[in-house]
Amino acid sequence: MSMQTFTTAATVEEAVAAVAAGARPVAGGTDLVVGARTGKSTMPGSVVAIHRVAELRGVEPLADGGLRLGSLASHAEIAESDDVCARFTALSDASAIVGSHATRAQGTVGGNLMNASPAMETGGPLVCLGATVTLRSPSGTRSVAVEDLWTGPGKTTAAPDELLVGVEVPAPAAGTGSAYVRLEYRRQMEIAVVGATAAVTVVDGVVTAARVAMTALSATIRRVPDAEAALVGSDGGSAAIESAGAAVAAAATPISDVRGSADYRRAMAAVIARRAIKTALSRARGENA
Amino acid sequence: MATVEEPRTFIRPDGKEKVTGTGRYTADLVLAGELVAKFRYADHTHARITRIDVTKARALPGVLAVVTHEDVPDVLYGGMVKDRRLFARDTVRFEGDVVAAVAATTAAIAEQAVALIEVDYEPLPVVTDFEAALADDSTLVHPAWEEYEGNESLGRHHNTVGYTAIVKGDADAALASADVVVRGRYVTDPVQGVPIEPRAVIAQWQGDKVTVWTSTQVPYAARGGVAHVLQIPESHVRIIVPLLGGGFGAKCDFHFEGHVAALARAARRPVKLVFSRREEFFAVGHRREGMVIEFESGARSDGTLLARKARLVLDKGAYCGEGGFFSEMAAMHALGPYELENVNIQSSLVYSNNQPSSSIRAPTAPQVCWALEQHMDELAAALGMDPIDLRRKTLIETGSVTATGQVLEQIAMKETLEKAVELIGYGQELPEDEAIGVAVGWWPCFAANSGAYVKLNPDGTGTIITGAQENGTGSVMAMPTYVAAELGMQPEDFSMLYQDTDAAPYDMGSCGSQTTFNSGRAVIAAAVDLRDQLLDAAAEQLEASRDDLELVSGSILVKGSPDKSVTIAELAGEGTFHGKGAGEVPFAPEALAEGCVGQSGLESFHAPQLIAHAVRVRVDRDTGVVRVLQVAAAHDCGVILNRMGADGQVYGGVVMGIGQALSERTQLDAEGRHLNAHLTDYKLVTASDAPQIDIAWIETDTLNAGPKGSKGVGEPPCVPTAGAVANAIARVLGARVHQLPMTPERVWKAGQ
Repeated sequence: MSMQTFTTAATVEEAVAAVAAGARPVAGGTDLVVGARTGKSTMPGSVVAIHRVAELRGVEPLADGGLRLGSLASHAEIAESDDVCARFTALSDASAIVGSHATRAQGTVGGNLMNASPAMETGGPLVCLGATVTLRSPSGTRSVAVEDLWTGPGKTTAAPDELLVGVEVPAPAAGTGSAYVRLEYRRQMEIAVVGATAAVTVVDGVVTAARVAMTALSATIRRVPDAEAALVGSDGGSAAIESAGAAVAAAATPISDVRGSADYRRAMAAVIARRAIKTALSRARGENA
Repeated sequence: MATVEEPRTFIRPDGKEKVTGTGRYTADLVLAGELVAKFRYADHTHARITRIDVTKARALPGVLAVVTHEDVPDVLYGGMVKDRRLFARDTVRFEGDVVAAVAATTAAIAEQAVALIEVDYEPLPVVTDFEAALADDSTLVHPAWEEYEGNESLGRHHNTVGYTAIVKGDADAALASADVVVRGRYVTDPVQGVPIEPRAVIAQWQGDKVTVWTSTQVPYAARGGVAHVLQIPESHVRIIVPLLGGGFGAKCDFHFEGHVAALARAARRPVKLVFSRREEFFAVGHRREGMVIEFESGARSDGTLLARKARLVLDKGAYCGEGGFFSEMAAMHALGPYELENVNIQSSLVYSNNQPSSSIRAPTAPQVCWALEQHMDELAAALGMDPIDLRRKTLIETGSVTATGQVLEQIAMKETLEKAVELIGYGQELPEDEAIGVAVGWWPCFAANSGAYVKLNPDGTGTIITGAQENGTGSVMAMPTYVAAELGMQPEDFSMLYQDTDAAPYDMGSCGSQTTFNSGRAVIAAAVDLRDQLLDAAAEQLEASRDDLELVSGSILVKGSPDKSVTIAELAGEGTFHGKGAGEVPFAPEALAEGCVGQSGLESFHAPQLIAHAVRVRVDRDTGVVRVLQVAAAHDCGVILNRMGADGQVYGGVVMGIGQALSERTQLDAEGRHLNAHLTDYKLVTASDAPQIDIAWIETDTLNAGPKGSKGVGEPPCVPTAGAVANAIARVLGARVHQLPMTPERVWKAGQ
């Protein structure tokens, strides 16, 4: 590690100014510090700690039925929120299984999104729930849809002087259910080998809207339009689920590595996508799932 | 035979400090002026070294020593074959070979210096396929193998560092006459011990003597190693082990104490080495070996086992270390606890350019048992028999004679099977994605010298001075319990002075499930000696006959005269009481073993521990993900002296066995380099994955047992877990997984 300067920001302004001056923000440190310790990445020369910035905290329901997450909202806070669990269920699913107990207590949604790992848990749910992030720089603030945030592993569309300060999730339409499912080899301290998210709206027995995203199956988390098309207008029955799952497998561009072969990942893409869709449909219908 | 009662709770003396984080491990010690050590590892997995230039590294400010083979005596070392140098001289043979070491004022400078060392190589063909390495025309990992000093029994030849054959009767003829013959080939990946404490070593010289604080399971072997590689008397080396954060076998054998001692001598300062997690994976010449295992068995249609043939190839990796006995140990596990008339087992331990393998908790047994127990279930299926019934018919029992001619006296193999089957509820109706699998195994005791002292302090407490090591296995709990029982005192009355080679007599260390068997025997003998001294003193003081005295609750009483007594504290304040003992080392039973070669002493299993595990699993057929839901573990480990400690060994061993069964494996690239030397992708089982574990102890009177009829208990729980999981998976899938670990991808593929 070769960190030269470490400052602690007390306000958003201080944090943004430090980032604009070239510092890497650190909150939970579950990617930055762990990555540097294991040799996966080097510690940046300049670091600004933002964990004490009160304005960046919070998991708040909005008056219009939406949800605002401060960038410092921890996975544990999100997972423990009854409101998130009831209406943004896929995000609740994901936050509850990030890493270990320690990772969930330390790690933040802002860090998770900006780390831009194609295997991150919270990305797929936020994409499917139509979330946007607020990026702030000394020159102003802008909103970016989460699905437009990533360009590759570890790469985002955020400018170097921008700090992610919050995430907004719009109110889900009536009859919406969502789910995130991960293929996992063990129950704790796991990283997605394959993941899938579905958010579907069912009105009078017909799927009127669907979003399906895949995790750890391409260079970034991304939606699968063919899978969504297979669901919209259908009754959400097994044929529609089957073809949506197949569409995810077809869209996947998996790699072979120590966690699994590309063949296995592709086969699991269909299985895990079907499970996510099935669970989301059950939730949309108000069934207990 | 009897079942064992729950014990009173005794909180282990090191428990609180370990749990609260106040415990001091080796890496926590700080010596004034200490330097940081870093190693320069091999840049190739097999190459000739043509030049080593440390000039630039030595010139770097802050570097106080750079050490290569030129700076230490030119000697070879190794427990069973001397085939390795402290620092590579002409050849590097695996990823973790140490070419040079640096001691510097900071870690950053040491890292920089290590990178400045210039090493030129001439790459050699890399031997990673250990089965192919058996061929006579294979590249030799050690071209000078014939010149090495090594244990005569190993039958070394070319890349084969150990060869064992067990032959009895005529296996081929018996197979030809069998109604049913089944064959199987099983392949296992290498596995690591993964102690949570990465190892650390600190060395400090005073004159020509060196003290080494190190995270080792075997301080006396470490002492011998340092003395040998530096060519100094053993009495000039003192090894101290602060709290040890686990070992699981990986901290057995002599490893890096010599490198650090050499650095400290050259730097004239204390030097500390602390491994990163990555180094703890790839640089340690000590992991569980990969194997290729082929079985062929024949039976009569009624289940009578007629013959077994086996061919085993074990990956020794680059160096032998203490693991030369593996070919014989694996061959004994290929026999397994079965009655067999016709046997032909061929077992080869082979050098490669992979990381060296050595003892990890029950070395060789989990892999061979996993293969054999699947093979036995496959035989049962071919016979149309229930696998439990086939085992009922073929397992050893009291009076059985093994294939190596050992007569087994007082064993409860079949009883453990029945108990495990009963505990798990074998035969119950289960959901269609669940099934129960059963496996059996065995493991020997290792008799060895040990010694101990017990002294009384003036306040009536005592101190136990023992060579026993605390590897997490509970010697700090067991030793005071044993001594207190002899003296009518409480375990809490005793402190321990241990893990210091200058304090206690020799002990083998925390390995081979031997702490109670040997250290316990010595400690009890010392306590008995002390008790005799106390009784003599009390008899004189109380003017009573020794025979009328008893030790109760810290006092010595005259039986029937409650007013006539003296406390141990009173006696201790007036005199000097110290007991010593070693106990009589029990002999291993004889084995005739005609037709066997490669005997290193394991052809008879001394006081064998018999084990049956039954597991219930749930298999997700669509993904191949397996969850172990319940494990029933029934063990014959002789008389259980410390139930809480014994149970703890089973809990830990079963969980470790599940990791080996399902997820733990080291993946290597085409040149034998680690691909997953970190805990993200080397998948240990977590507490959340641990199943319900039910334990039954079946106590037997064992011939040549340890103290009070005990046997070992630390390693057996690792032995049959993977085999039982495999058999359960096969029942759900209707197909077998022939590779270990049985990862989700492999299970999924087998079920396709």
